[in-house]
Amino acid sequence: MWRLIRHSLSSLFAVCIGLSADAGTAPAVVPNGVILVKGAAPRSSDSVTPLPEEGKVADGRYSNAYFSLSYPIPAGWTEQPAGPPPSEGGSYVLTQFAFWDREQQRVRAQVLVTAQDLFFSASSAPSARELMASLRRGVVPQYEIERGAEEVTIAGRTFYRVAYGSPLVGLHWRVLSTDARCHALTFTLTGGDKAALDAAERAMGGISLPKESDAPLCVKGYAHDDNIVEKTEPYLATRRFNTIPVRVTIDGEGRVKHVHVLSAFPDQSDAIIAALRAWRLKPYLVDGKPAEIETGLVFGTLRAAARGSAAGSGRL
Amino acid sequence: MKLRITAVLTLSLLLFVSQAFSQSDPGIRGGPPGAGGPLPSVAADNPLTILKFFNDGQSRFQEVDSVKGTIAGEAGKGLGPRFNAMGCARCHAFPAVGGTSPSVNPQIVDAGADGAINLPPSFVTLSGPVREARFVFFTDPAGNPITSQPNGGVEDLFIIAGRSDAGPCTTSVISQPDFASAVAHNNVIFRIPTPLFGGGLVENIEETDLLSYQASVAGNSFGIAGTFNHNGNDGTIARFGWKAQNKSLEIFAGEAYNVEQGVSNELFTQEHPTPEEERSLGLPNPCKLNATPEDHTNFNVGSIATLSDAVQFAMFMRLLAPPDRSPDTPGGSASIGRGEEFFNKIGCETCHHNRFPSFSSSITPSLDTQKVNLYSDLEIHHMGSTLADNVSQGAAGGDQFRTAPLWGLGKRIFLLHDGRTPDLLKAIDQHSSPSSEANTAVLNFNSLLSTQKQDILNFLRSL
Ligand code: HEC
Ligand code: HEC
Repeated sequence: MWRLIRHSLSSLFAVCIGLSADAGTAPAVVPNGVILVKGAAPRSSDSVTPLPEEGKVADGRYSNAYFSLSYPIPAGWTEQPAGPPPSEGGSYVLTQFAFWDREQQRVRAQVLVTAQDLFFSASSAPSARELMASLRRGVVPQYEIERGAEEVTIAGRTFYRVAYGSPLVGLHWRVLSTDARCHALTFTLTGGDKAALDAAERAMGGISLPKESDAPLCVKGYAHDDNIVEKTEPYLATRRFNTIPVRVTIDGEGRVKHVHVLSAFPDQSDAIIAALRAWRLKPYLVDGKPAEIETGLVFGTLRAAARGSAAGSGRL
Repeated sequence: MKLRITAVLTLSLLLFVSQAFSQSDPGIRGGPPGAGGPLPSVAADNPLTILKFFNDGQSRFQEVDSVKGTIAGEAGKGLGPRFNAMGCARCHAFPAVGGTSPSVNPQIVDAGADGAINLPPSFVTLSGPVREARFVFFTDPAGNPITSQPNGGVEDLFIIAGRSDAGPCTTSVISQPDFASAVAHNNVIFRIPTPLFGGGLVENIEETDLLSYQASVAGNSFGIAGTFNHNGNDGTIARFGWKAQNKSLEIFAGEAYNVEQGVSNELFTQEHPTPEEERSLGLPNPCKLNATPEDHTNFNVGSIATLSDAVQFAMFMRLLAPPDRSPDTPGGSASIGRGEEFFNKIGCETCHHNRFPSFSSSITPSLDTQKVNLYSDLEIHHMGSTLADNVSQGAAGGDQFRTAPLWGLGKRIFLLHDGRTPDLLKAIDQHSSPSSEANTAVLNFNSLLSTQKQDILNFLRSL
């Protein structure tokens, strides 16, 4: 009986909707080209603190407030589709530009700007220098090393540079990486057109990446038990087998000021952000004075690489 | 006269030049299927009687199902009440049994077989790929998607109502899902069948090898950083299906038998309702026509017939040889060799990893410590908004897909998870869109000369 009533009620409802649709309301349509159902994604505890993934392109420059980076886009190069969200291993695709030969429908050169959070890198490389050294070791068997690894100075900063290529393919890679807030900030220039690559590399001279910024100090492995005064582990209700890298800013009083979950499911992010708000750590001291710092934590499933560099505690 | 010859020459030269400037998909490689047979050690019947298991599995895989198993030519029992096709080999058909969608879609015939009165949805056509449909969101009664209620479950296309063996399961108690409304609301996505050749080798790749490969490409110059999908209960890496949503061939076989044909079995014991029925009171009782499970161990029969269909489907797939590749077709061996080299260098191979070792096998030598040339890392990757289907399965979100294994690509008619294109160039192009991990690889592809692109296409069709 109830079934019948429910059925007729819902048909009635359908009729009403049908009528209103006739009256001009467009039916709701799932939009194309929008990712509505997300897997693991980044999240942060407020909406004002800059995040690595939030760069912008305007007036011929790519700027990223988190890194205090401003990068002049080489003339004639165009912005390419955005990259994926940050990975479980803390790698970011920040932006990408390419120089197209429209007539031939061919890319002459491109630049990919990435960041690897050094708190979480699978290769356990502690710095841009080590990361480039491991890239060099990794590419030797597959490509021809053209130069490096070597140190170059760009915009007053030390970059580690490796150049390699494949004569058969006719493509060259120039990878330049520098340290910024415990990330390896990397510019990968690729293309067959050496002149375009040279021009793009020269254009990097116009980068602004001030050494002295008001960013908090980054300290690897600070949130280990010896430094924690008070903590509650977040309850993660479902086992999802993902690694959850988290960057936290800790203020001069040892309170968690900001949480950036790089990659987690929404329920996990909620639980982690809520739990971390209650943490208290010993203030980090610089010359005897408490300082604001950022450091990393890993929740969820700890992978071997993360475990390896965590000195047993699971905290990076 | 001389003038005319020069004109013709110039013209043909021009033609030649313009031809040289545009690469194109060579299309399906001709010749024999090069797939569908057993692994070499299985063909050699090592261990003894294993070939019998393969042959038996293969013939059961080709069985056509009816509701009661009593219709001539439809000896399989348990079809429906909801189904997508009448047998595994209807969909896994090309270039041989165990493959994927044939050029003529058998779902059109199955929709009306034995008196059934199904209306094929607009997206299922005679010349289109075999398709399975999922609704993205649950809807209100008017069909408007409710975005807070993700659906994502398989909506079987057809019902048995009207069939001569459907008894009381008539259209007064059961109906097809409202596909027209789902299409109007853009609330439906599609999946085409994945090929099964080499399934046993894929099943026997050790996790350690997958994990160490993943670690070895960390920090690559292509912006690629994939992850794995995991089996919900034991947390091990899942590897089958477009989103690597399933752990093993046997689980997939049980689920497919249940979902595609509507045959309940020892792995999936109840009949398969629509996701909407699941949220309500399940399938209507008059449509539950057989005792469950419909497929089961056949006690007291003896020999190979004892085994259930689901177990034998899995064994057939496990013992299928990987597809043959051609050393020289299309385009010649030099072009194919160069193509593979380009493919490796520009970043395609970072996801489409050419080779893993298989672990030692307790089943047959051809599964034992072999090279598995599947061209996939079995990871799930963000593929961007153009490929996103907004269905989440396990850890895979709306735009994450398992790197499609490329072995057998030379004989694939339809490409990408929904079969949206037959053209390799389009398939490559679709890799690039906001949020995709493959954007750099596609830019690299577009840095190549046309002749180099052609080498890659030749290489791909040689697989
Ligand atoms: C209506 C067509 C159809 C029928 C019938 C069908 N399949 Fe499939 N099969 C599919 C589709 C579509 C997929 C991809 C599903 C996905 O990943 O979303 C698939 C995928 C698979 C896979 C995963 C392989 C891999 O490597 O990803 C296996 C295994 C499989 N099917 C086995 C079977 C078996 C066994 C049967 C018979 C019981 C069967 N299928 C019947 C359409 C079909
Ligand atoms: C970031 C990982 C990644 C990279 C890089 C990548 N692919 Fe793919 N590829 C995939 C995934 C995932 C799919 C399945 C996507 C889908 O169906 O929606 C796929 C599908 C394909 C297909 C269709 C296969 C099928 O079964 O339908 C082809 C062909 C292909 N890729 C070729 C290439 C080529 C050529 C390159 C280099 C230019 C490349 N891919 C780079 C991940 C990648």
